[in-house]
Amino acid sequence: MEDALFYIFAALTLLFAFLCVANPFSRNPVTSAMFLVLTMISLAGLFVLLQAFFLAAVQILVYAGAVMVLFLFVIMLLDVKEEERRRFNPFGIAIGGVSVIGLGFILFSTIRESKVGAGLKLTAVKGSDTAALGKALFTEYLLPFEVISVLLLVAMVGVILLSKKDLK
Amino acid sequence: MNVSLIEFEITVVLLGMGVLLLDLWTPAERKPGLGLAAALSLLLVLVATFLVPIPQGAAASGFGGGYLLDGLALFFKRFFLVAAILVLVMQTEFADRIASGISEFYALVLFALAGMMFAASANNFVMLFVAIELITVTFYVLTSFQRGRTASLEAGVKYLILGALSSGFLVFGIALIYGTSGTMSFPEIAAKIKASHDLAHGALFQLGVLLVLVALGFKIAAVPMQIWAPDVYQGAPAPVTAFLAVGSKAAGMVLLLRVLLTAVPDLASHSAKLLMTVAGITILYGSLCAIPQRNLKRLLGYSSIASAGFLLLGISALSLNGISAILYYLGGYLFTVLAAFLVICIVTRNTKDEDISVLAGLHQRSPLLAAGLTLAMVSLAGVPPLAGFFGKFLLLKAAVESASNPEFRSAYYTLVAVGIVGVIISLYYYFGVMKAIFWTKPTGDLSPIPLSLPARLALYVCIAGMLFLGLYPGPLLDFTDGVVKAVFN
Repeated sequence: MEDALFYIFAALTLLFAFLCVANPFSRNPVTSAMFLVLTMISLAGLFVLLQAFFLAAVQILVYAGAVMVLFLFVIMLLDVKEEERRRFNPFGIAIGGVSVIGLGFILFSTIRESKVGAGLKLTAVKGSDTAALGKALFTEYLLPFEVISVLLLVAMVGVILLSKKDLK
Repeated sequence: MNVSLIEFEITVVLLGMGVLLLDLWTPAERKPGLGLAAALSLLLVLVATFLVPIPQGAAASGFGGGYLLDGLALFFKRFFLVAAILVLVMQTEFADRIASGISEFYALVLFALAGMMFAASANNFVMLFVAIELITVTFYVLTSFQRGRTASLEAGVKYLILGALSSGFLVFGIALIYGTSGTMSFPEIAAKIKASHDLAHGALFQLGVLLVLVALGFKIAAVPMQIWAPDVYQGAPAPVTAFLAVGSKAAGMVLLLRVLLTAVPDLASHSAKLLMTVAGITILYGSLCAIPQRNLKRLLGYSSIASAGFLLLGISALSLNGISAILYYLGGYLFTVLAAFLVICIVTRNTKDEDISVLAGLHQRSPLLAAGLTLAMVSLAGVPPLAGFFGKFLLLKAAVESASNPEFRSAYYTLVAVGIVGVIISLYYYFGVMKAIFWTKPTGDLSPIPLSLPARLALYVCIAGMLFLGLYPGPLLDFTDGVVKAVFN
């Protein structure tokens, strides 16, 4: 049962991700964004199968919810028509295709060689428990956690600087 | 937990916030002066790093082992502080070309500096990732700071997209390493490799390390992750390019040293061939592509790629002398590159582009600027008796010493030959710049270029640094040798 679910969610993730970047039926960025939402949700399904329930919930709440709403806002404020008219660049497709195939080959052969998952038993990882996660964040990884606040400040300053019409 | 470990970083972050706040009460015409105030404060921090007692032994590590204040970290922290002080001076020279938000321009450099100082001390992958992101995100904003210039925006977008891609590789690599080894900490990974032979030879673990190397290679602009460098260097405002060339590259370098030599020393010796190949190609690519360049910043972009190759050459020597040579080379590179960008920043004040022809007649307009740029070019080219010569000499010497290993003898000799060819090619284009200064017939205006006191001082510091490191390599070399022996032995 779990195996079947895994293959279903994995296939859905790949399919939606593909439709998000290269949808043959629609060139509308809003459609792409909606497919990105579906990709996130299928990923959350994979997290549930790994018994990382908190991560799955965060994935849906933060990514599929908050982040994607912002994405949609921005897309709707932009000139979408321009984007729809744009054709794919054959050179870009060729280079992109070659890199995807190359990287895919490396990943595939590595995974086959290392026999991942053989004899693996799934146990709930301690880190997925919210209490353990909070503990790790505020003890072992306290410093990176605090440094991220500086990162967010930088991001905020940057966005204001780059987007504001007229600064004094 | 020992908060006093991160006192320098805390000071720098507070300084950045202070600049942001002071902006509110400073009248517009005095805002450019904030940069000088920040530079002076950083100078105090730099002095403090020499006076404050530095914890030794077990006390030097903190925050769950993720932060390490050893000799290497301290060397790089001082390096970044010096770079940031000179960049801040450069920024005040640049202030009239920034339409708005000059205080934020200073503050962002301070935050990037904090990121670099954290990177110098990173001892696990979480800290490494957060520090890299802090540096890179700040540079996304800084490169596109001149919103009115298309080139600047283009540079920002290119850096953003490729930077995001490399962050993706980095996270993927870290995930694979964590998945196979079960730990994020560098020393623990090294211990696990020692305990079990299978781990280091597992394909997944190796792929993880490779992906992390790709991301760090992006930061130092090594082939094949160098594509972004020329465009971004050309488009970004001159002080930002300077900080990118010196600070960001050195941050990538210190992380590369930590990951390769503390976390996976075994794999490092196995991947000597890979490192050598990348180093050789990077040197050749940077040197050859720089030949036809007419834009000064683009030229320095390619030259910085070649320098990344030389730094990798030092790593691939896999010896203490190699690492020591890297530190020495970076020390000379700091003064050399900052001198070059300082001159470019001042000379291009009233010109639209940074074409090499703007240098025509510079020796008449301002002998000091001409002397500074000439010395920088001579040093970059690796001509004695300047800092750049000694750095390259030490790096090549380390590679020759490693050639005593019979397995790689021919490989090391080939690499050294490639390095020398690179140096010879680079003579051509660096001397092209000098030709433009002294022998090109000036067509434009020949009015003298006024130099403010801080810029003059900064230029003197750079020139003194280049000359001192070239003529008296002893003190710094002893110091770097000591640091390297203490950290990597």
